[in-house]
Amino acid sequence: MSSTSQHLLLSPAELAYLHGSLSLITPGPIRPDGRSPTQFRPLTAETGILPGTNGSARICFADGTEAVVGVKAEVEKTPLSPYEFVASTEGRKDHTQKKSGSRKSKKATGDEEDISMDVDEEAAGANDKIRGSPDWVELSVEIPGLRDDDSGTVFLTSMLTEALLADGEFVKKLWINRRFHWKLYLDIILISPPLSYPLPLLSLTTHLALLATRLPRLKSEADEDPMFDDDWAAATFLYPRQDTSAKASNKSSKPSSAAAAPASRPPITLLVMAVGDNIIFDPSKEELAVADSAVAVSVAEGPASESESEPEPESIPATTTKRNLQLLSVRTIDPPSRLTPPGVPNSVNAAAWGTMTAATPTTTTAATASATEGGAAKHPDARVTETEDVVGVWKAPRGGAKFGMLGAMVAKVLEREAASPRSQGAG
Amino acid sequence: MADRRRINGPVGATTPPIFDKPAGPVATKTSDAIRKIFLKTGITPSASGSAYLELENPNPQRPGNTSLKLSCTVHGPRSLPRSAPFSPHIILTTHVKYAPFATRQRRGYLRDSSERDLGVHLETALRGAIIADRWPKSGVDIIVTVVEGDQDRDSPESQKDDEGWDMMNVLSGCITVASAAIADAGIDCVDTVAGGVAALVCEDDKTAPTIVMDPIVAEHGSILAACCVAYLPTRDEITNMWFKGRLPGADMMVYDKLMEKSLVACRCANRVIVQELNETVKKGQGIS
Repeated sequence: MSSTSQHLLLSPAELAYLHGSLSLITPGPIRPDGRSPTQFRPLTAETGILPGTNGSARICFADGTEAVVGVKAEVEKTPLSPYEFVASTEGRKDHTQKKSGSRKSKKATGDEEDISMDVDEEAAGANDKIRGSPDWVELSVEIPGLRDDDSGTVFLTSMLTEALLADGEFVKKLWINRRFHWKLYLDIILISPPLSYPLPLLSLTTHLALLATRLPRLKSEADEDPMFDDDWAAATFLYPRQDTSAKASNKSSKPSSAAAAPASRPPITLLVMAVGDNIIFDPSKEELAVADSAVAVSVAEGPASESESEPEPESIPATTTKRNLQLLSVRTIDPPSRLTPPGVPNSVNAAAWGTMTAATPTTTTAATASATEGGAAKHPDARVTETEDVVGVWKAPRGGAKFGMLGAMVAKVLEREAASPRSQGAG
Repeated sequence: MADRRRINGPVGATTPPIFDKPAGPVATKTSDAIRKIFLKTGITPSASGSAYLELENPNPQRPGNTSLKLSCTVHGPRSLPRSAPFSPHIILTTHVKYAPFATRQRRGYLRDSSERDLGVHLETALRGAIIADRWPKSGVDIIVTVVEGDQDRDSPESQKDDEGWDMMNVLSGCITVASAAIADAGIDCVDTVAGGVAALVCEDDKTAPTIVMDPIVAEHGSILAACCVAYLPTRDEITNMWFKGRLPGADMMVYDKLMEKSLVACRCANRVIVQELNETVKKGQGIS
């Protein structure tokens, strides 16, 4: 089935050991690669690797998985539906009324100012009308060894698309004028075989590529046919960065750390899993194989609060470091642990002198003596061992996650993301 | 020379007639209730388990009196083909397919990406409920056909932007109906799983957004965020969760409330399943 369960070669005993070490409470979970629970895998990243695209990025994780994302944009005509026409004429009616009102009031001041006033209003009207449609973004994911219509690939595609479209702000960036828009094609290619669940890698690479995406500067105005500047150096970023003048104006309120950073950022999807009571970020394939539940959480950073652009020196010092995060989407992911082979407790294992019917004191074999004795003596019935956990014997998890656990996972992601400067170095 | 022998149509494109706004829907459903569910198991004799679900349309001005019709069949558990590798668990295959006429936009006969996506969600929801290790080396196919999608078709007003919020309602229906069909097929589950939806809706710009259970997409001004949950009531566990949208202000509070509301919706749906299964059992005892 999905790419989560591929190439998993761990025995039930290994799974039980891994689960035990990840669900430790007192020293915290011990991960196979020695990371702390909230630490991500180390990675190397670069942007602008594909000259034929509007923006591109490549990320290579330390475990050898590598992805490339290319973003290409095309100008497309916006089909005008008759219903929108009605709405816009209604809007215009209001507009003209307003305009005539303003004209009367402005009669005395003179014609030139009057015209500029009209232009302002026009611009304001256009701003109200800026809208986007989910059709303007097309995202495709390619994973080697899997078909395009494989359900796992489709799930990844729809999850990444959903994160981009969820707040409806992203597509508004693609608006040119009432008749034209950009159509953005995001092509995500996993180069390496899917050694681990590729979601975090693909999402990070997409994030970087979108940060590096530039669109040609528009030269035409209003509803004209769009004309663009030939100079690529003049192209504007899809996620505009704060330019130096803006930085100079509010230098007092902001330290220089985020000076060259974009005001808002594309969404990012993180994979979080729960083992026991522990919440673990960015699990590797082996860790995911013992997960009790796994969740993909998409967050985006809005324009870092309105107060930043206005010069507000010392009003809220805390908000300068805290970022305006938005929760966009949450999806549970079917953890591959549900498909792992179960271990057989000694009490029901004939090879270990256990019996299916009754437990006798002879079940005490050499290695797992204490565990089996406890399990078998308490529950002579084999059916009980089928439903209940035996210490040290792996059993695929049943049921789902507790409400509180899911909430805690999402909260932890938001908290972690707010604190992390990880994406600051991008670009 | 213009052709004067025939009555020609106007030159250039025409726009279709636009009718005045239809009378606004009468909100008969309160925000704290879900729509009435009709559920019946055992409707497909050839399948080992089957169920049918309808959601009542609380706005009776429309020609149809339902808003969602789902049919689910379960085939199996049956042995895997000889060529398949060994599996210690039952292999679950879920198909969600819209009928071509189920939505405003015609659906093709091949499953498109949104249908496959729904299939993955459904699989996640059911896999947590089924006790999979009781059937090694076997497989089960769960096929849900959406006969009528939860969309309003008669007013152009509602065709403004198709953001796919109705998919959430369809998914919760799919989970509920598949759970009933699995129980009908006699496959062991830890509990009957049921689906529920809650949404944060904004009627207009002036009022503050409110949380609504089982939202009817056409009746609300705009939906800001929605959450679909698959829930096991006796174990108090969530097997699948799907949240999307934008949350204004302090996120976690609203998010938690949204989740709680959808859990309430799940409990309501679960009562319907349990009642229907009880009736089926009683009927079976009466005959024999």
